Amino acid sequence: MAQIICRYRKGEQVRWISHLDLKRTLERAMRRAQLPLLLSQGHNPHPKLSLGPPLPLGATGDAELLAVHLTEALDPEEVKERLNEQLPPSLEIVEAWRLPRHKKKETFGQIDVAQYRVSVQGEVDPGEVRGRVEALLASEELVVHRGGERPERTVDVRPFVLSLAAAGAKEWGLELDMRLRTGSHGGVRPQEVVALLGLDGGDRRIIYHRIGLYAGAQAAPRKRALRRWTRSRGPTQGRE
Amino acid sequence: MDVESLLPRVIKPARYTDGEWNAVHKDAAGVRARFALVYPDSYELGMSHLGLHILYHILNSHPDFLAERAFAPWPDMERQLRDRGIPLTSLESQSPLREFDAVGITLPYELTYTNILNVLDLAGIPLRSADRGPEDPLVIGGGPGAVNPEPMADFFDAILVGEGEDAILEIAEAVVLRDREAALARLAEISGVYVPAQYHASFDGPGPRGSVAPRNGAPAQIVRRFISDLDEAPFPTRQIVPFVDTVYSRVTLEIMRGCARGCRFCQAGTAYRPRRERSVETLLRQAEEAVAATGYDEISLLAFTSVDHRDIESLVSELVERFGSRGVGVALPSLRADAFSVALANKIQQVRKSGLTFAPEAATPRLRRAIRKQLTEDDLFAAADAAFSSGWTRLKLYFMIGLPTEREEDVEAIGDLVQRLVAFGRGVLGSRAGRLRIGVSVTSFVPKPHTPFQWMGQEDRDSLAHKQRLLQRSLRGRAIKLSWADPDVSALEAAISRGDRRVGRAIERAWGLGAVFDAWGEHFDFVQWQQAFRDADLQLEDYANSHLDFSDALPWGHIACSLDNDALREEAERALSQGEA
Repeated sequence: MAQIICRYRKGEQVRWISHLDLKRTLERAMRRAQLPLLLSQGHNPHPKLSLGPPLPLGATGDAELLAVHLTEALDPEEVKERLNEQLPPSLEIVEAWRLPRHKKKETFGQIDVAQYRVSVQGEVDPGEVRGRVEALLASEELVVHRGGERPERTVDVRPFVLSLAAAGAKEWGLELDMRLRTGSHGGVRPQEVVALLGLDGGDRRIIYHRIGLYAGAQAAPRKRALRRWTRSRGPTQGRE
Repeated sequence: MDVESLLPRVIKPARYTDGEWNAVHKDAAGVRARFALVYPDSYELGMSHLGLHILYHILNSHPDFLAERAFAPWPDMERQLRDRGIPLTSLESQSPLREFDAVGITLPYELTYTNILNVLDLAGIPLRSADRGPEDPLVIGGGPGAVNPEPMADFFDAILVGEGEDAILEIAEAVVLRDREAALARLAEISGVYVPAQYHASFDGPGPRGSVAPRNGAPAQIVRRFISDLDEAPFPTRQIVPFVDTVYSRVTLEIMRGCARGCRFCQAGTAYRPRRERSVETLLRQAEEAVAATGYDEISLLAFTSVDHRDIESLVSELVERFGSRGVGVALPSLRADAFSVALANKIQQVRKSGLTFAPEAATPRLRRAIRKQLTEDDLFAAADAAFSSGWTRLKLYFMIGLPTEREEDVEAIGDLVQRLVAFGRGVLGSRAGRLRIGVSVTSFVPKPHTPFQWMGQEDRDSLAHKQRLLQRSLRGRAIKLSWADPDVSALEAAISRGDRRVGRAIERAWGLGAVFDAWGEHFDFVQWQQAFRDADLQLEDYANSHLDFSDALPWGHIACSLDNDALREEAERALSQGEA
């Protein structure tokens, strides 16, 4: 019995696959790779696979996480290689490691911050955007209307925007870097931030890329004592 | 602008992207002919259609040919494409369909026909064969609907009648000729291929009476193709694994083709004769290959009646034994209503839970005899007994109303039979009786070409609606869940199913009025269809409801299926006399 954690990349060609479909895709790849999957008991046995926080539909990510239970303690490097042979283009295991023995379960539930790099391509004035970023960060309250949720509601997302910066102007537009709260204790989606900056709509092409997942924001949202999720210790200590 | 840029604006965008496992990407420069294979419905339905996988596999396995896929875009995507003037493209290389040498389109069933016109229009290909020029691809049809090609004859350059495994490569060689006239001439020489432009349709009054005659030397009869040996036939084990959840997200193993039961309403029964089986040895090998190549966790055994396979018991035992421990289940979607079937289903239940479905079709012995449904009430109750005693609490039953020779007492008997099954089920289940659920699905009889009932008109919609109300009254109860097919939908199915070439005008008009995805309740508009028939100077009811004489010439008379009209007529007369008894 062993639990393997993998960090994987969800790339350009698979970015339109939903979280649930991605889970099925990974399960099928694991079966093709003939990994010794531990199956759940019961009439409808299925592999014990858990994924980190879902990416928004259309977003790519480098920091994505999965955990799977195996019946044998395979070398994580072998799991990575066998799996990569069976994954569709642009879906790739970047690194794999064994869950430390003293831990019973992966702790993806602790993840509460996601860092995105958002490129905004097309008609855009970088100076003006920088102004809007400053205004946004200076505001006390940022009200977002969530019509898609039931019941419909409005939420103040200001506490969930931990950092936001407009990186240098590029030929094709500009790039935003943002760290946002995510998870069950409330959060904000990168699309909502882009809309708050007035950058949605029009014929602009906006590409969302998640570059990091962190834990540790719950205790003190603005203190940023964040621990980045990496291989060595699960959520590792270290100021960001 | 390209399709990629539209993805943020549509629902389920992964239906329009490619890169699924086992999808084939071939270099266009290295092949002699490029095919776009189109299923004219949603991606989810199309990817569940085995025929598409088979042809894709055969063409792409050949070094000279290439095949890519396309599906009917959902209306939200259609709007995006039209607003921006983006033509419909294939999934694999995102090439516009009109750049292919041939566009092969499945004719799955009547209610997809407006989608076919919509796909052609979105691709920028002229709808009518007569309007296409040297630059346009050949538009080739095939599939279940091809046994009566007339309603779609004006829109296709060629239609293959029957099974495609052998014919597809002959067709591909004709496509290689490139020159439109030469290719059509070659296609017309292929057995089973119908080139409608070489035939003249004439009509004897309203409704489906008339005939189709060859011009300048084309064969008078198009003889349906079928493969003689299913065991030797190519079968795709490297099936494409969709990212999105489709209707059947599992390995499909075709264990048998055709059915020897001879139900008189059934078109598939005559269109896919004779019954052919794959051997257990072949099927086990294909199952191993397919599971290894796809990673699916379920194997579904495809056949009209899977339990009619002569080695079904050993096949199921072997599959369960080999795959059960790997967490791969086996599904038997088409069961007979008898104790043997339930015993088989029990074997499968060791791995995975699924529902049990039986199709008595009619509730009285007389009517079952008239339609030649070989099932007795004893079989049904034995099946229910076996099912309830081995733990099932849910059954689903299929019935048809409006069958030839049906009387009101036959309809009442459905309610009676179901209520007796409920009482019986409660008795068997004892303390678990509260969990009993019997789903009753009632469809309306649709007369189909090449069946003994092809001459019988469909009962009119008012009368069908009256019978449905009768059923609603008699099928009350906590344990019963009744569902039925909309009589308007059944009427349209009947009208197109028995349609002649004139009906093509009504289909084109309906599409012009905005009809697409007619098989999807939310898009179906019967008033629009009635209007379309009227605008084409036709009456939908003439096609759906009129009773034909055995001496009438039939619009599909030039298509030779497995049984000729004399054999069908004999069966029809037997049905009528058995129904009278």
